[in-house]
Amino acid sequence: MEDIYTWVREGNAFQVRMWLDNTENDLNQGDDHQFSLLHWAAREGRTNICEMLINRGARINATNMGDDTALHLAAAHGNYDTVVLLLHNKANINSVNEHGNTPLHYACFWGYAEIAEHLANNGALVNMANEFGKTPLDHAQPHLAHLLKERAVSLGQDMRKIPFQDRSWLGYQTRSRDATLSKHSGINFEHLHFTTRIMSTKSAELWKGRWQKNDIVAKILNRVCSDRNLRDFKEEYPRLRIFNHPNILPVLGGCMDPKSRSLVIISQWMKFRTLYDVLHGETNIVVDQNQALRFALDIARGMDFLHSLDPMIPRMKLNSKHVMIDEDLAKINIDDPKYQMKAHNGGIVSGIDEDLTAKINMADYTFTFHDVGKEYNPAWLAPEALQRKPEDINQRAADMWSYAVLLWELATREVPFADMSPSETGMKVALEGLRVTIPPGTSAHLSRLIKICMNEDPGKRPKFDMVIPILEKMKAAS
Amino acid sequence: MATSVSPGSSTLKKEKEESFFEKIGGTLARRKKTKEAQEVEAEGKHAIESPTSPTVPDFGPEWYSLAENEERSMLDPSCREDPQLVTLKKILLDWINDELAHLRIIVKDLEEDLFDGQIIQKLFEKLENIKIEVPEVTQTEVGQKQKLHVILEEINHILPNAWNTDKWNVDSIHGKNLVAILHLMIALARHYKAPIRLPSNVKVNMIIVKKQGDVLLPRTIIVELTGKEEQEQGYDSQERDAFDTLVSHAPDKLNVVKTSLINFVNKHLNKVNLEVTDLDTQFHDGVYLVLLMGLLEGYFVPLYNFHLTTTSFEEMQVLPPGESNTKYKVFKNNFKHVKF
Repeated sequence: MEDIYTWVREGNAFQVRMWLDNTENDLNQGDDHQFSLLHWAAREGRTNICEMLINRGARINATNMGDDTALHLAAAHGNYDTVVLLLHNKANINSVNEHGNTPLHYACFWGYAEIAEHLANNGALVNMANEFGKTPLDHAQPHLAHLLKERAVSLGQDMRKIPFQDRSWLGYQTRSRDATLSKHSGINFEHLHFTTRIMSTKSAELWKGRWQKNDIVAKILNRVCSDRNLRDFKEEYPRLRIFNHPNILPVLGGCMDPKSRSLVIISQWMKFRTLYDVLHGETNIVVDQNQALRFALDIARGMDFLHSLDPMIPRMKLNSKHVMIDEDLAKINIDDPKYQMKAHNGGIVSGIDEDLTAKINMADYTFTFHDVGKEYNPAWLAPEALQRKPEDINQRAADMWSYAVLLWELATREVPFADMSPSETGMKVALEGLRVTIPPGTSAHLSRLIKICMNEDPGKRPKFDMVIPILEKMKAAS
Repeated sequence: MATSVSPGSSTLKKEKEESFFEKIGGTLARRKKTKEAQEVEAEGKHAIESPTSPTVPDFGPEWYSLAENEERSMLDPSCREDPQLVTLKKILLDWINDELAHLRIIVKDLEEDLFDGQIIQKLFEKLENIKIEVPEVTQTEVGQKQKLHVILEEINHILPNAWNTDKWNVDSIHGKNLVAILHLMIALARHYKAPIRLPSNVKVNMIIVKKQGDVLLPRTIIVELTGKEEQEQGYDSQERDAFDTLVSHAPDKLNVVKTSLINFVNKHLNKVNLEVTDLDTQFHDGVYLVLLMGLLEGYFVPLYNFHLTTTSFEEMQVLPPGESNTKYKVFKNNFKHVKF
């Protein structure tokens, strides 16, 4: 069968790359048993494919229906190189499947000594009991068991047996994504169930709802659409279905409410809402410097991807209201003690690296026929974007200015030009040289980066692929 | 009343004329001749006019001969005297006469003058500025109905939501159904934003008779001719009225109003360091209007959408038609909050 799972299993790098380049394909989708592409690649030992998938944003700790991670499969099938690669990319070494088995259990059971040794060297617990009370050491051949025990002792592991713990609290949160989400572009309005209205602005209403057993958020445009609008809508929204980048939140689909003739855009529900809400709203999320840098990096990666599209998606304006915050459990180490704490308290523990991730929300794209001549968030727009037509300016450079305002926002935790109305802000930024000011006490690196990105000369602003390594360095240093 | 009463009035006149002839004297023979001549004239007149009044307004017994389950409706006679209804009719009548004055058409009665379609045609042609290709005068009932059909088709085509209305049709108009005629005239007046103020909440009782098992069952329903919204929704006519009244009745206050408008505008425009001193000369190019809209509604209009300094008329046409229209409305809504 010529499908992506087959190509991944066969290691057909060319076809896989072609498939990944199609924005409509979701590389985190699972098959019937929630095996993601990464699961299959790891199982078959296709290390090159694994690497490609991880680089494209595959969730390293996603689980299948048996709660196996890719590392479980790689270890169980003796794919040493793949195990090394996964561990290098922060795969959770002690993740436990539904039977309480860790990757080391499988490596020992199948006698892959080299893998078992590598796992133990990297901190795999040799005394973790599964649901039958068996530890990896119990499964290993005497020689291997002896070796592992020695290694564990030398690494200072507590040699007492760690009892089996039920992980069912995690529920489905770590599972591969429901593949149905990316498969339906035409959504039937009848299948949408709206539950609560989140907010309503002059241009649209936001509703929380359910669709195909998934939590979704529906953006309903405040406008009765003409046949012509509907045609434009149907032409424009499919481009917003970008599933192949971890820092882009795709539009799942669009439809029209036949009764009111208003257009509806559906995307996945993000419980932490927008970056704007997280930074300035009434959430109890504390964003520390490290998390802020992570957001900055996520957004830069998302923008870099959007800028790589040819043609670019126009009218996708970057600001903190257009960035959604997501918690990606499958990407993080759930055995981190801080997570255990969180599980018990039921709250949000901040300050864990890789805890929250930022995604550019494609649902905030401005349709050609919507809000013509109205700019509700001019504070983030470059002066030239406020004055000249989009086709007369360098859109990428203008986006970089918006990114600089976002960086300023992340650094100061303040709303840009909060005391002014949009109209005032727009006039003053465009005509009177009004700019955000970087308060003293801001990190020198960050304020320098903001200044570089906010260069008055659009031609002198950097590109996102230049900003990313700078942020990575800053993050490594902090 | 033109058709049913005019024969009466003309005979009345003739009687007078006759008496006038009597007074100047003349022979009996001559008098007889005049009488004959007048009789012939009256007959001829009747012959011409009678087919134009085919349906009998006073319902004879045959009117009530209904087939089983057939329904027939009529206006509750007691409602005819309703002062609200009388006012409504008067206002509509005045409006129609105003519109048709240039054609030297005078309408005296909505029911009697409109049923044949002639006046409706002229009115609609004037309002929509079109010409409907139908015979000028039709005498036969069939011809009149055909003409009405064409005219109503045109009207229903242009009035919004009228194509599926059951408020009027060829038969009800031609049958001189006052309610149907009123519905049609109100719809036209609203659509063309007639400079009249319709009384609100005009309701009439309709009696609907239904034959069921050899028994005539009457029931009464209330038909709403104009709703509450007549005052609330604020048709253009009313708002124009407000300024019209101001200009015509209190021109001395005009400057006060101008000043308060300038204060209102400047209160907002000052935020972007702009100031208006003269409404007449500074608002004509639309630039301040665009800026004011954004200030009031909470958005910025990117500067490439309009010209900050206009030099030609083309540059003043800053917004697409639909857009400018909505902005104008918003503008008006905002003005509602201004205290004069």
